[in-house]
Order: sequence, then structure tokens, then C-alpha cells
Amino acid sequence: MKKALVLLGCPESPSQTPMAVYVTYKLKNMGYEVTTASTPSAMKLLEVGDPEGHYIENKIDIDSCIEKLDEGAFDLLIGFIHKDAAVSYFVTFYSILNTTSIAIIFEKDPEKLEEFENIVSESTDAKIVSARAYHNPTPLRVRFDKMIKKLEEN
Amino acid sequence: MFCLETYLQESDDYDILISRAGFKDCAKIIEENAPEIIYVNAGEKILGARIIGIPPVPVGLNEEKGTILFPYTKPCYGTAVVEIPIPNEEIVKVRDLNIKGC
Repeated sequence: MKKALVLLGCPESPSQTPMAVYVTYKLKNMGYEVTTASTPSAMKLLEVGDPEGHYIENKIDIDSCIEKLDEGAFDLLIGFIHKDAAVSYFVTFYSILNTTSIAIIFEKDPEKLEEFENIVSESTDAKIVSARAYHNPTPLRVRFDKMIKKLEEN
Repeated sequence: MFCLETYLQESDDYDILISRAGFKDCAKIIEENAPEIIYVNAGEKILGARIIGIPPVPVGLNEEKGTILFPYTKPCYGTAVVEIPIPNEEIVKVRDLNIKGC
């Protein structure tokens, strides 16, 4: 079974938690075993929204995950980025795993959004899904669907 | 295994040069505050802990003081620069990680 790692950032942006559930749902339908790496606070939000673990099954603390991570441990990396720290984490996970990766970048401020996109594209070969988004996850969901369809076709 | 978070909680022989900052500012602080700079890949282990950042990640060495400066990132709090003591034998290992070949 193919393995995917979904990397969550700080949960202060409301779009992240529903998108994390949605991304996991899509990946599971594609046959991936999905592991979610996050901070304890981001995980609490997921656990309240998915109490029986229908979607979020395999969970790991982001810092424990990075310490144990080895190249090739996952076939796909998907990272949520809406802060400078999340860019650093994503690029670091990417550097260690050296695998197919998608960065989901979202920010209210267009300058920051562009800055995050530039850093990710200069530092990795990851595919980028980005949108000006904060409360409303729909633009991200629509762009993610397009990207995942391309991934399925290849 | 070395855990930086535990070290910072249990020790008082470290300095934090900047905190809650962006990676770029932290990289600049490291470059300006150490006599010797080496650049490493993101994810390299230094003193047993992964270095998080945008490569090439600057790491500062001060052999005279016996300290190392590096970026320390937490998802909700941004990046800090910490300066902690490092044994001489570890300095040699850190130099071997240099990716800029100088």
C-alpha cells in the first residue's frame, strides 16, 4: 500500500482543519495509507471533528515524526503552509523524504502568499496548490482537486 | 537522545539571540554573530537534533567560546536563534556537514 504523510502547521487558520480531513479522505480513496503529523493543538481540532477516526487514523506529533523520519518512508508528502515556520518544516520534510510532494499554501495577505510560494518553488520540486484563503477552504479544495486529478492520471 | 526542548527547559547556559521571527531574519542573525559559519542541508542532525530551515541553513560556530548557534523552529512560534555549548569533538562533526565547500 502506498503511504502518504500529511503535514499540518499551526492550526490558527480555520481552513486547515477541514482541508486536512478532506485531503485525507481523497488520499484514502486513492488507496493511500495516510499518516497525519501535527502539533498537539492541531491534532485536538481533528480529533473533535472526527471522534471515531473515520478519516484521521494514523497520528504522530510533528517533532517526533521529523526526528524518526528517513528518506523514502513515504510515497507522497502533502504539507499545509500558512506561516513562515510551516515553510521551514515543509522544506525540511521534503529534503529528508525526497519524494513526490504537494505544498498547500494559503494566506490572507497576497505578498506573504507570494513569498511562501517563491521559497517553496526555489527550495523544492514540490507541486504547489495556493490560494488567498483564511475562513473559506473552497478555493483551496477546488485547486487541490485539480492537482490530485493530475497526480492520479500520471 | 539529545532533545533541544528539554535542554532549554533544564539548563541556563544558553542564549536566545532572537525569537518568534522568520527564518530569513534568523539566518542573518546567525551570520552576523558567529566567527565561523557553515551551511548545512535542512534535516541534518546536529547534536542529535534535526535542523529545520531553508537550505543552505547557516550554523554558527564559536570555537573559542565553545558554542554553536542554529535556528530553532516551532510551528506556532516561528523561528529562534539559540546559542548553546558544544563539545570540541562535535564541532569537528558539524564542520563535516558543510555543503558550501569552504
